[in-house]
Amino acid sequence: MSAPSILRSLFAATFVAATTLSSTAIAVTEAKVVEVKGEMIDTWCYFSGVMGDTDATRGTSHHTCALWCAAGGIPVGLRTDDGEVYMVLKFEGEDALEETDTMMEIQSDIITARGKHYLRDGVNYIVVEKVVANDGITYMSHEDYDFVPPFAKPKKKK
Amino acid sequence: MLFRTLIASTFLITASATAADFSKDSKAKSWRLYGEEKAKFSGKVVDLLCELAGDCADNCGNGHRNLGIVRAADNKLITVLKNRQSSFNGGTEDLLPYCNKNVDVDGLMIGDDDVVKAKFYQVQLIRVTGEEKWNKTTRWTKRWKAKNPEAKGKGAWFRRDPRVKKQIAATGYFGLGHDFDKKYAAENE
Repeated sequence: MSAPSILRSLFAATFVAATTLSSTAIAVTEAKVVEVKGEMIDTWCYFSGVMGDTDATRGTSHHTCALWCAAGGIPVGLRTDDGEVYMVLKFEGEDALEETDTMMEIQSDIITARGKHYLRDGVNYIVVEKVVANDGITYMSHEDYDFVPPFAKPKKKK
Repeated sequence: MLFRTLIASTFLITASATAADFSKDSKAKSWRLYGEEKAKFSGKVVDLLCELAGDCADNCGNGHRNLGIVRAADNKLITVLKNRQSSFNGGTEDLLPYCNKNVDVDGLMIGDDDVVKAKFYQVQLIRVTGEEKWNKTTRWTKRWKAKNPEAKGKGAWFRRDPRVKKQIAATGYFGLGHDFDKKYAAENE
């Protein structure tokens, strides 16, 4: 390779690298209005695998644990049928995500939500402005997994 | 001269753009989670809603909003799901004292979902950047006790929490009502 062509390659590499760096430095926060349908989930158990796989950490089997996590301030997500998860930032007029009963009442429900969608660094976030429909809890995961975790099973009353 | 400058700048820029090894010098404890990677880094604590949508609140929402960290090395927004405690505690209470401050954190990046190509963070240690002493992220249960004096008693907080108890009283352990729970219990004794 001749000196001029090396020089051209270096110019090109510098340009590509600089472009890559600057694009990662700019936050993508433009909102799009979306309507999505999915299950309200506890994101920690779902993503970490701490309680089992992603089928076990949804639906009826994991409902009590989802209540514990929502009360504990773990972010709630909306998981669509194709596996996309939207981190819920705000919910239909509510401001205090961790303190409202709404976030407890809708755990494991399948809802259709309309709102603003933000995508940044590979993570979907949503501000739910309107719950268009709520189908309730429909994923009967207890049929396969019983209680997740097992200690969520209520103790027999003596 | 120009040639050398170009080589040096190319090297520097590409090195910055390449993913850094955040596990270096990390003291985070393993939890054996999906896609777990130790991660120690510096950044600014932010209210996610403020950072993304410009909807800002005093003191990052006073504990009522999800918080994250904008990582200094690459400007990535890191969503924090968890503190270091093992009983269903989020990370907000432990990040809140550092709202909009520059911090050093140590913990775990987790997640290897097939669809969601991103990782989330469990913060185990935190300090204001420049300070020497690390703080363990264990504020949650202390704050819960202070907020729920009526729930005093033995056992884990989540079995005594008024909001959890209220919801289970309303719709049962599976969320489908008490009759459903009773029928399942009778069939699976």
